[in-house]
Amino acid sequence: MTAAPLSRRRSVTVLLLWMVLVLAGLAQIARTSFTADLSAFLPANPNEEQRVLIEQLKSGLPARTLLIGIAGGSAQQRAAASRALAGELRRSGLFEQVNNGESEGWSEVGTWLFERRYALSPAVAPERFSAGGLRDAIDETLSLLGTPAGNAIKPLLDRDPTGETQRIAETLIPARSPRTEEGVWASRQGGRALLMAATAAPGANLDAQAVAIAKVRAAFAPLATNGLSLQLSGAPLFGVESRARIEHEVKWLVIVGTGVMSSLLLLAFASPVALAVAMLPVATGVIAGIAAVSLGFGTVHGMTLGFGSTLIGEAVDYAIYYLIQARGGSGGTSAQAPGWQRWLLSGWPTVRLGLLTSVCGFAALAFSGFPGLAQLGVFSMAGLVGAALATRFVLPVLMPDGARGVGLRRQLGRFAGRALAWLPRLKWFWLALGAAAALLLWQRGELWEANLSSLSPIPAQALALDASLRADLTSSDGGALVVVQGADAETTLQRVEGLTARLDALVERRVLGGYDSITRLLPSQATQARRLASLPEPEALRAALADATRGGPLKAERLTPFVDEVARARRQAPETPESARKSPIAPLLGALLLQQSDGSWAALLPLQPAGDTLDTAAVSAALNGLPGTQLLDIGQQLGRLYQRYLDEAKAQALFGALGVVLLMAFWLRSVKRVLAVCQPLLLAVLLTLGGLAALHVTLGILHLVGLLLVVAVGSNYALFFDLLRGQAAPDDDTLASMLLANLTTVLSFGLIALSSIPALSAIGRVVAPGALLALVLAASFVPRARKPL
Amino acid sequence: MTSGVKTLRPERRRLLAAAVLALAAPSAWAAFDLAALMALLAQRKSGEARFTEERFVSTLDSPLRSSGTLSFTAPDRFARTTTEPRAEAMEVQGNQLVLRRGGRTRQLTLDAVPELAALVDALRGTLSGDASALQKHFRTEVSGGAAKWVLLLTPLDARLAAQVQQLEIVGQGPDLRSIALRLAGGDRSLMLIDPPAK
Repeated sequence: MTAAPLSRRRSVTVLLLWMVLVLAGLAQIARTSFTADLSAFLPANPNEEQRVLIEQLKSGLPARTLLIGIAGGSAQQRAAASRALAGELRRSGLFEQVNNGESEGWSEVGTWLFERRYALSPAVAPERFSAGGLRDAIDETLSLLGTPAGNAIKPLLDRDPTGETQRIAETLIPARSPRTEEGVWASRQGGRALLMAATAAPGANLDAQAVAIAKVRAAFAPLATNGLSLQLSGAPLFGVESRARIEHEVKWLVIVGTGVMSSLLLLAFASPVALAVAMLPVATGVIAGIAAVSLGFGTVHGMTLGFGSTLIGEAVDYAIYYLIQARGGSGGTSAQAPGWQRWLLSGWPTVRLGLLTSVCGFAALAFSGFPGLAQLGVFSMAGLVGAALATRFVLPVLMPDGARGVGLRRQLGRFAGRALAWLPRLKWFWLALGAAAALLLWQRGELWEANLSSLSPIPAQALALDASLRADLTSSDGGALVVVQGADAETTLQRVEGLTARLDALVERRVLGGYDSITRLLPSQATQARRLASLPEPEALRAALADATRGGPLKAERLTPFVDEVARARRQAPETPESARKSPIAPLLGALLLQQSDGSWAALLPLQPAGDTLDTAAVSAALNGLPGTQLLDIGQQLGRLYQRYLDEAKAQALFGALGVVLLMAFWLRSVKRVLAVCQPLLLAVLLTLGGLAALHVTLGILHLVGLLLVVAVGSNYALFFDLLRGQAAPDDDTLASMLLANLTTVLSFGLIALSSIPALSAIGRVVAPGALLALVLAASFVPRARKPL
Repeated sequence: MTSGVKTLRPERRRLLAAAVLALAAPSAWAAFDLAALMALLAQRKSGEARFTEERFVSTLDSPLRSSGTLSFTAPDRFARTTTEPRAEAMEVQGNQLVLRRGGRTRQLTLDAVPELAALVDALRGTLSGDASALQKHFRTEVSGGAAKWVLLLTPLDARLAAQVQQLEIVGQGPDLRSIALRLAGGDRSLMLIDPPAK
């Protein structure tokens, strides 16, 4: 009798402190913003190349472009619907540009370009306005007449005989573009009209994106007759839907998880009070986890919350251990020390060791450069520590003698006892199965084949629709572009002009199919000024023109409008990004030239390959020595990013597992016992992996994380059985608490295995069977099997 | 030229054909129709020939003349290389079109410009004997016989018809001899193709 029951004063202090901490956590959560965007998948400390990639992924045109398909009906019906939908979307003002292949929409841009042709045409130079230059230019223009293409330039002949408009138009022809049917974009296989709509709001503004998406659906609704249906994809949709899915999923996981745990606890204790008390450490842990992530990362990703639901299953274990093990052997009213004190001596050290091994596993994740994993790590560590501390300090105040109810615990304990006696017979079976799994894995060769998309919360079906729309629109999400940066717009544009000369050479050699560049619409001030300065005086032009047209099919007298317009162009001021922003080319400008958050400018030049794949080596070589210029192959970069995460995760998983083993070694202080404890763990990992390989699951980072968790969670069971050594046969209650704790873990991970979010289900599908295997194997490999009483 | 080709047909034979058609199914009597022409043209898998072209444009004082070579390789490669008066080239392969003008190269997707794709199909379809490619965009009309035939192509699609009124292709056996193009605005062009060098 070393201590009286908890002093009232201490109880009050503990409860007050706990409440203050919980309230502080809640206050922090209230200030937290929850995200569901790409941020979880992008490196926290990017290098220069990755920074450009991130800028692109977050605020580039693809991040705010919706891909729209209209299926069903006839080609005419689809085309009519495409025009109606595009018109409605353009009028809404929510979109920066809406393209559906209609050429009618470009007349304003065409007029703008035509009026500025002498500043924009790359052919404008002093020689072009000599007699020889004019003759050559007129000949080239005439060579198009008498063809269908000539019909378009014929009306402009008197104003633009040198064909500057053609030259500008020619540079704007995309090397790859969608098929046109009935005057609008259509899929190559037919059966679908296509549109692309870029929202005016930035990609990260999911609320604005949701409004834009709702607008598309509402605008299409009246068109959905004649069997026409709307197909929608693109980054904004993925962002909005992922957020909604994650929100829904988290809610579902929490509700079902709580329900399942509550039923289990009711089975075990048959006491609603015990149930309520058991939930306190869980709630504390969840609050601690979210608050810690919020403090550490600024925002909390929805996936972290989804994963957090598994914490319910883990944290509730502490409560189960306490509530069962703190019960006085004879009702807690004897002269013995109160239950909580005995638990502190007998039960708590085991729980503490289990906590430490789990924290050890999660700590490895917390150092990940992959923010998604780092958040999971921090959340779990803080959550488990919070739950354990709540169990250690708060539960003794509330239920000093554990839970009284018995429920089905006796039966559970008896079942566990029988299983424990029987399982060691399976030892050789497990070893044989382990060997088979090892053989299977060895045969499979490379296991880690998944890519970055396996981390994304987007279902495979949506990704397939996206891929097919992108293929039809020839708009590759993982395409390559050259990014040119400069301190100001003029520097950037001049750098782009230096670059385009080299890219043109690649197009000439057919290394490159083509590329887009802002300088075709908006050359640097210097270039525009140089071109305008090369225009001759009207008198000189008239004389040269007379010379150039002598004997040709086009008479100089007809070309007075040309002379007048050149004279007018000489007085034109060059366009600037500011002036162009108020012009019809603003949407194109927005896509190709942007001012970055730090005030510097970046021009984007999307590249189109000549064949199926881009010769990145040749392009890189061509960029050599150009300042502020780099090639960004988004697909390749993302692949590299994933590879880096994977390599990192492999190292972290190894370190985490090593940490767990070292911790156990420190505790057990015996090589033999450490080996005995590791054996079932290793086998559990091997069998889980083997099972996944046998089912042809493509393994990725999250499966690896799952394996680490199997080790972290499984080590608790192995340790527990190790500690049973040298004790009398464990009583039913102890075994029941073990079994219950395992059940809660398996169930909580089993729940997220059912999640429709691939990242969550990947973890769940590894940990749920892995943890169960770890328990069964630990029981099978109990050092010296003993028969229960 | 067009009328010249037509008068070559013996009137008597046409009467006889009509009589036979009226009496029985024409199955045994192989009339020279689109299928027969296509079968004839499909024999040639590749070829190259020189051409001269004249274009008559309403606003110009004199016709525009040019010359160069045409080449075709079954099933879908077609190139027109102009050497006079300026070097220019247009090469189609599958759905890719490569244009070279004034030392500049442009690549573009053919089916993005359906009117252009239809004209290319008209040429490729004729050269390779692909009736379905022709019938996709045009109403076809064949006259003459294997020795000398005329294929008239009239656009089905209103958009194409707004640009192109008619294409008239004249050939001898498996060889194309002339292509006359009449544009909607009244401009027209006539391309004469040299017989292939034997």
